[in-house]
Amino acid sequence: MSDREFAGKTAIVGIGGSDFARLYRSRDPERTGEALATEAIAAAIADAGLEKSQIDGLITGGLPHYEPVAYRTGLTDVRFVVDYPQAGRMCAMALMHAATAVHHGLADYVVLFNSVAFRTQGTKFGAQPQGLLYDTIYGMASPGAQYSMGFTRYQAEYGGTEEQLGAIPVAIRSHARMTPGAIMQAEMSIDDYLAARYIAQPLRLFDYCLVNDGAVAYVVTTAERARDLAHPPVLIAGTAGRANFREWYVDLGFWDEACRSMKADMFDPLGVTTDDIDCLQVYDNFSVSVLWGLEGFGFAPKGQGLEWVQNGRIALGGELPVNTSGGMLSESYLQGWNQHAEAVRQLRGQAGERQVPDCDWSLYWCLSALPGASLLCRDGLL
Amino acid sequence: MIGGGGGYLKPLPMVTHEDREFWAAAREHRFVLPQCQECGHVWFPPYASCPSCLSFDRGWTEASGRGTVWGFTIMRQPYIPSFEPELPYNVVLVELEEGPMVYSNLVGIENDAIACGLPVEAVFEDATDEITLIKFRPV
Repeated sequence: MSDREFAGKTAIVGIGGSDFARLYRSRDPERTGEALATEAIAAAIADAGLEKSQIDGLITGGLPHYEPVAYRTGLTDVRFVVDYPQAGRMCAMALMHAATAVHHGLADYVVLFNSVAFRTQGTKFGAQPQGLLYDTIYGMASPGAQYSMGFTRYQAEYGGTEEQLGAIPVAIRSHARMTPGAIMQAEMSIDDYLAARYIAQPLRLFDYCLVNDGAVAYVVTTAERARDLAHPPVLIAGTAGRANFREWYVDLGFWDEACRSMKADMFDPLGVTTDDIDCLQVYDNFSVSVLWGLEGFGFAPKGQGLEWVQNGRIALGGELPVNTSGGMLSESYLQGWNQHAEAVRQLRGQAGERQVPDCDWSLYWCLSALPGASLLCRDGLL
Repeated sequence: MIGGGGGYLKPLPMVTHEDREFWAAAREHRFVLPQCQECGHVWFPPYASCPSCLSFDRGWTEASGRGTVWGFTIMRQPYIPSFEPELPYNVVLVELEEGPMVYSNLVGIENDAIACGLPVEAVFEDATDEITLIKFRPV
């Protein structure tokens, strides 16, 4: 979405989500993704100050099929339905789709959600019996091993230490400790980070995101309608994607081109620069995704991202707070959706002790096989 | 498919119509890559169609077997139970001279000696009577 006329014409007006920490404490065999989604949808509609009968668009995510949850919502007179597969990389795509739909009148109010019961279902992001790339026959298993391989290459090209990388999960953990409902509440020092075991060396346990249950939903409508609702609108200033479908996982240039392209699509038509961005709420499936995005979007100089994130720069109170609710490393693995919910809280000024002062702009990215990004801002800036 | 008899317990490729010729060649200790007969593009894994021009006119070219290590990881977690006895083991992404990237293991080298940019060459490891895996060793 690089159209100046479209920027800021749509908004996120309601958010709802699970108490991730409560769900994490117990594995309830009767817990379903459908029930978690239904709760989040109800909360998002109420947060927007809407009636369920006003919702006429539905985008489902994370569940095997849209239908079981659609019946449970009892939505009627629905004009627009899309069923996204379980994949965090679809988060920005779903938002792009919702914004486009309401902008063009395909629906007035779209509710979209991601709902996962990974922990209850014992989901493993490890070995499938047959990899598409013959990788499992060589013992290659889990997305983390792919990002680990990228990090050995990054270190060979630019240097940097594992200890420096630890600054990213340590900062994000400090934010989770200020977030009600975040799963990882224990204090974590750089020594704690380094003392944790390797999973796919050089990545350690705390370079990896959580695997948990939960749902997040939001309601999207036009900015015009948004101004009559319960909260100040959070405008969708831009969304972008940039995929190169290749037979390996980690981009050989650490997604530099993808980041530059998505930044140009979203920032250039508005005259926005990296200096305008007040916080990042980004896809931290692995710590290195944050590092590569900081360089790709031009926040940190190329090859110097590890140095750049030191000394509290990305922690609350620093120059550029990252994942202020704890991200997927420490709050919840809702695959980009919890990041968007936190961006909305920050831009509404509802983040409590985590509030970033004068928060006007928040940026999201997901660096994966299908890179995506979004740019959100307060009303009145476009 | 997990295990293939003869005591080999690790995952094995599920041979399909798309890659049957690749695995047949590997069994003869030849490393072949699919090549488009229309545009010349060489790719991997061996899909039936060329991902550059989408032609289905596929031939095969003998690979040199030479390449360099793009990146590597040392696996420490028993994701795949049959690999557990080998922990910690390496997995590498090799950039072949012909262009394609292939996942594999390096043999004949200690894990802590592996480095990006290392020149390597293919070796053939007979896993079962039907399947031969292509691995790499330092040149």
